[in-house]
Amino acid sequence: MTENVSDLVLDGNAAGGLLQEIFVPEITSAQIECEACGSTAAVGTLHLYAAAMGAVLRCSHCDGILMRAVHTAHGRWLEMKGARYLRF
Amino acid sequence: MTVIETAATAAAPVRRLAWQLARVREIVTETYRVKSLMLDVTSWQGHLPGQHVDIRLTAEDGYQAQRSYSIASPPEDDLLALTVERVENGEVSRYLVDDLRAGDQFELRGPIGGYFVWTVATRGPLWLIAGGSGIAPLMAMLRHRARRKLRAPALLLYSSRSLEDVIYREELDMMARGDPHLRVVHALTRKQPQRWMGHWGRIDKALLAQAGFPPSQNARIYVCGSTPFVEDVSRFLVELGHDPLAVKTERFGPSGE
Amino acid sequence: MHETPISRGFRSRRQEQTPKDRVPPGQYVTTDFPVLSAGPTPQIKVENWNFALQLGASLLGKWNWAEFEALPQTTIKTDIHCVTKWSKLDTTWQGVTFDDLLKAVGKAEPPAGYIMAHCDGGYTTNVPVADLIGGKGMIATRYEGLPIAPAHGGPARLLVPHLYFWKSAKWIRRIRFMERDQRGFWESLGYHNYGDPWKEQRYDGD
Repeated sequence: MTENVSDLVLDGNAAGGLLQEIFVPEITSAQIECEACGSTAAVGTLHLYAAAMGAVLRCSHCDGILMRAVHTAHGRWLEMKGARYLRF
Repeated sequence: MTVIETAATAAAPVRRLAWQLARVREIVTETYRVKSLMLDVTSWQGHLPGQHVDIRLTAEDGYQAQRSYSIASPPEDDLLALTVERVENGEVSRYLVDDLRAGDQFELRGPIGGYFVWTVATRGPLWLIAGGSGIAPLMAMLRHRARRKLRAPALLLYSSRSLEDVIYREELDMMARGDPHLRVVHALTRKQPQRWMGHWGRIDKALLAQAGFPPSQNARIYVCGSTPFVEDVSRFLVELGHDPLAVKTERFGPSGE
Repeated sequence: MHETPISRGFRSRRQEQTPKDRVPPGQYVTTDFPVLSAGPTPQIKVENWNFALQLGASLLGKWNWAEFEALPQTTIKTDIHCVTKWSKLDTTWQGVTFDDLLKAVGKAEPPAGYIMAHCDGGYTTNVPVADLIGGKGMIATRYEGLPIAPAHGGPARLLVPHLYFWKSAKWIRRIRFMERDQRGFWESLGYHNYGDPWKEQRYDGD
């Protein structure tokens, strides 16, 4: 059992399978710009939370949410209002 | 299996991911709690060193569990190798390490991930830093490098709890002995044998400075292990003057089980 | 219909000893207490903590830590069920019930039909007021007799154990009454709006 929550912070690499169900081009190497702080990074470097429920990907500089994704039997959800753009 | 050696490889478009069937051809014991599963995957299209797969197990009552594992084999090999560490109370890892037999099957999809990737087409010294089972994707890179007989300098810093925990120990010894351009430095964090010549304790800033490539050499650096390990090592590297963009990381976190 | 291949001999270890009447469908009992968070754990000092009940633009009530601790305390023992399929039985919590919060602000009746819970770190979740009154919901500050650890939502979290545990919002700071229901963090991204584990309402469309 993990009490140290920092152990649970994975990265965008680990969300690769979930995200690759939605995107055609390779997603973890795509560049994403944070709406909140303006920093740009590869999706694979974002901090991944709540992997058991889907994916909450946060900016590694300001912790702002860049992408959220969920896959259920009824469909897939993707929300990216925290990102200014994705560049492949 | 051929590797397409172009600069655009890492950003190449990917076919839509689909679940495929993987059949276990052979199981290799690496340590007392680590095994490598050698898999035959029906329509495998190839992969790049550093990528991973998702696997899915389905029980007879329909219960499913899904996990990600790095591919430890190079693209040059016919069978796909996944190296699995048995984690205490780990539902999936215990099955894979204790129960799985040759001939068994499970679902697999991949390859996944174009960010944490290295091929011989990438210029510059290669610096790999592994914590525990984080060695798996880095081993794919080293095996690919060996198959391609690349001469450019490479360094592996590999942290394990004890000598018994070092995965691929003999293979790494042989690789290093056969290649003057490859250095392998082991750090043992909890238990060291009597006349241990490697590093004692965790990989710290001093070891990185003393054994590693200086920033001026612009090494491509790959760090893989638990989240705390990756965060510490990355921070040290940046403090030592390495370009943060030259440091690629992959966090294993806890098993998630 | 594509057939999913079975992995010989694989079974969830969590299938052992599942008391059917206490464990909702699809759930497995665990003795662990897994942590799941949508973001970094906020480090909240109780000296800086406050909690508010809000209706429209007005504050119905606001308490600092000492004031909140002085409210009537209730201890309950209950089972909790996470949408990721683990259930934990016989967990003990202490805190202030929703009923006592309403009493503290002089409301005999809840002023609206729904609430949104607002938390440090930005997490939100919506709950019908009918699922909080009558002892069904509380703001919890103790787990198993000790202050709730930050990773588990301390210093205070919402506790609505008859719904999936994502509704028991960690690091709660404000309850906002709403005339009309609005979807919170997970509810707006594919999860069920209500979340009854006994009806297996995990996802929107279940």
